[in-house]
Amino acid sequence: METLVPLVFLVPLASALLTLMAPQGLQRDSVRISIAGAVATFLCASGLLGLALAGHTASEIRFGSTWGVLLFDPLSSLMAFVVSGISLIVHVYSRRYMAEERGYATFFVLLDLMTAALLLMVAAGDLITLLIAWHLIGVLLYFLLGHDSASHTAHRYATWTLLTYRFGDLPLLLAAALLYHAFGTWSLHGIFAQLAGTPDVETLFGLPLAESVAALVALSAFARSAQFLLHTWLPYTMSGPTPVSALMHAGIVNAGGFLINRFAPLFVHTDSVLHWIFVVGLVTAVIGSVLMLAQNDIKKALGYSTMGQMGFMIMECGVGAFSLAVYHLMAHGLFKGTLFLGAGGVIGEARKDDGVPKDDLYTFVVERRSARQRQPWLLMAAVTLVVPVTILVLAHWLVAEDFFQKQGAVVLLFFGWVTGAQLIFSTYRMRTENIWRLMGLILFSFTIVVLGYTFIGHAFDVFLYPDEAFRSQIYAAAGIDIFWFDTLVILMSLVVVLGWLVTYYTEQNGRRWKGALNTLWQGFYTLVSREFFVVNAYARLSGFLVAAATRLNVLLRWS
Amino acid sequence: MTLPGYLVVALFLPLFPFSMLFNRLYALVGPLWARMFLLLVWPQLGLLVLAALPGQPPNWVVYWAVVTACFYAFRAVALRDLTLWIAYMATSAWSLLWVMALFAPGDRLLVLQAVAFSAPFVLLAWLASRIEALFGAAYAGASGGLAQTAPRLSVLLVFSILAAVGTPLFPGFFALLATIAHLLPVLPGAALVMLTAWLLWAWAGVQMTRGLVVGPAAEEPKADLGLAATLLPGVLLAVLAAAGVASLGYLA
Repeated sequence: METLVPLVFLVPLASALLTLMAPQGLQRDSVRISIAGAVATFLCASGLLGLALAGHTASEIRFGSTWGVLLFDPLSSLMAFVVSGISLIVHVYSRRYMAEERGYATFFVLLDLMTAALLLMVAAGDLITLLIAWHLIGVLLYFLLGHDSASHTAHRYATWTLLTYRFGDLPLLLAAALLYHAFGTWSLHGIFAQLAGTPDVETLFGLPLAESVAALVALSAFARSAQFLLHTWLPYTMSGPTPVSALMHAGIVNAGGFLINRFAPLFVHTDSVLHWIFVVGLVTAVIGSVLMLAQNDIKKALGYSTMGQMGFMIMECGVGAFSLAVYHLMAHGLFKGTLFLGAGGVIGEARKDDGVPKDDLYTFVVERRSARQRQPWLLMAAVTLVVPVTILVLAHWLVAEDFFQKQGAVVLLFFGWVTGAQLIFSTYRMRTENIWRLMGLILFSFTIVVLGYTFIGHAFDVFLYPDEAFRSQIYAAAGIDIFWFDTLVILMSLVVVLGWLVTYYTEQNGRRWKGALNTLWQGFYTLVSREFFVVNAYARLSGFLVAAATRLNVLLRWS
Repeated sequence: MTLPGYLVVALFLPLFPFSMLFNRLYALVGPLWARMFLLLVWPQLGLLVLAALPGQPPNWVVYWAVVTACFYAFRAVALRDLTLWIAYMATSAWSLLWVMALFAPGDRLLVLQAVAFSAPFVLLAWLASRIEALFGAAYAGASGGLAQTAPRLSVLLVFSILAAVGTPLFPGFFALLATIAHLLPVLPGAALVMLTAWLLWAWAGVQMTRGLVVGPAAEEPKADLGLAATLLPGVLLAVLAAAGVASLGYLA
């Protein structure tokens, strides 16, 4: 194990060097070294995960007294497995996809270096190593996104990414400095051990250390995981090569969720930070999903979809479901990576068939197909509201009987319910000759997904945080006063139930107040289609700052 | 004696407006060797005088230094001329030596730190002269497309800029990290301004990189650096990175 841990990080580094040093004439073939390196890295990471699953105790491998500490624990081994797996897929895909591009071998060198930086980040056992990896990821991503050195557009958006990342690096640096000042060590293990002994220790201006540092760590995670107001770089980085988009959306952007998990022993000593994390995640999830629906460009829609998913992942952390967030980032990484790597094929298909649903009258008269059938709206509304919640409650009850004592689980159940209801509502609107058959299939899939999600979520909980008391501490840190929690749940339930009833009724019987609603709707759509003017505001701000700097330079005669 | 002494130091470890002297001088100096010499020696003179002064610089000087660093980093964001950019960024970096002087365990380390700060700028001065030789000016936007026209030159330029803006594993990163770790508990406001300067370095660096490196290849083919001419600065950058890693002991 002492050999495997550093190997996971050193193999991609070595393969980057070997690919770089290949003779000029053999550079195109040298990518085989890079791919072989990716395979070897994946095998090493799989070995580590196997050891962790077999119950090997967590340990540290030290290369220096101050820094260079690598961790072997369930979180690092799992994340190393995910990162190396996605990296391997991207390597193999890029071999042909990038073959016609300039700087073919350089691209693989950068991919290897990025893999090494990501693996160093997940295994970092001290703050300095973590900061080095955290910074390097931003820099390497800039060069990967700007791989086409002739494209000003690609570099413009790569710059946005780099600056957002650098902005997010600074809170982590401040957090590290505060922790070092308080405990006199850079070692994460040492810091967490001391913090557990003195959780109420104060820092600058008499502020509670745990709360302050957790807020800074969260801010850093927000920038990395494209939370609202720090999200603009994500949907606009589509000018980079597709494999980089896949790697970024499947791996790099998830770093926020990882960081919060890595600092879990800190978050358990906080009072309100997790609540704020929940709010930020919730806002991001909603806004990201709304913006995704308004896009007509598949890659940009995928970008906003990732933003919504990241919001959900951060929200999971906010309710104390840390390990579920890790499962979420893995699942999201796999499906989003697949979508990106398949985006080219979808665009090709769209050129043959636009996929826009035909008008009812057109289908009936020209295609001679029967009009869609609809069941009574009240019945469908009842099915929509009752079935998902029944499945969710049963699934969770099977896993843990004390389920309803965990506020975080109730909040997630709530979201599962709304998502399931939306799924059934979509079925209601779909054109089909046998709606019950379609609905049966969808409900079956939903049950499988919910059961899978619940069981796997529980398994992750036990694997990542084997100490049950610690798991309870995380949920307790995320909890709020029971009276307010129940009030909020009841209020939200009423709003959701009312919303679905109105939706079904309107779908069946047509809209009243159509004119007024249309004006409101158009105003909202304008706002969404301009992405809430956030990008414009940032562009204005940066333009203003550059103009101010130029004026200063002129005023001071360029000296 | 102390105040006049500090004023002398303010010329060499530049504090605004005394910093204007260095920037004017750097723009006026013609020969490349003189520019490189200036970049290497200027902060050392400041450290020499500072070491001779009794006690440590007062807090107001520290604030003045970090504001100067931030001010020049901000102004560098709008620059397109690489030569001016080097002078501004060097001014910004050297002014932080005042802060580092508060916490450095010894004068020798501070001298090495100043050398590590200056080294990327010395390299950049040389690279600027090469770009001027190729395009007539080292001007972002006008001399763009270096990555396609002269790949070796562009690689050296990118790494030198990365070293100048305090990217890991170069010494600037570790020096800033150590300084902030020590400064934050003592003068939190100054530490925040210093962090802002660091953020602005990144912005200024990426603007210059984009302007010089990105874009289509020049219409007429240009001569890239030879292997030998690339190797020496490449080794110097590698040594700098190694020095950065070695300087980590200072963090403890």
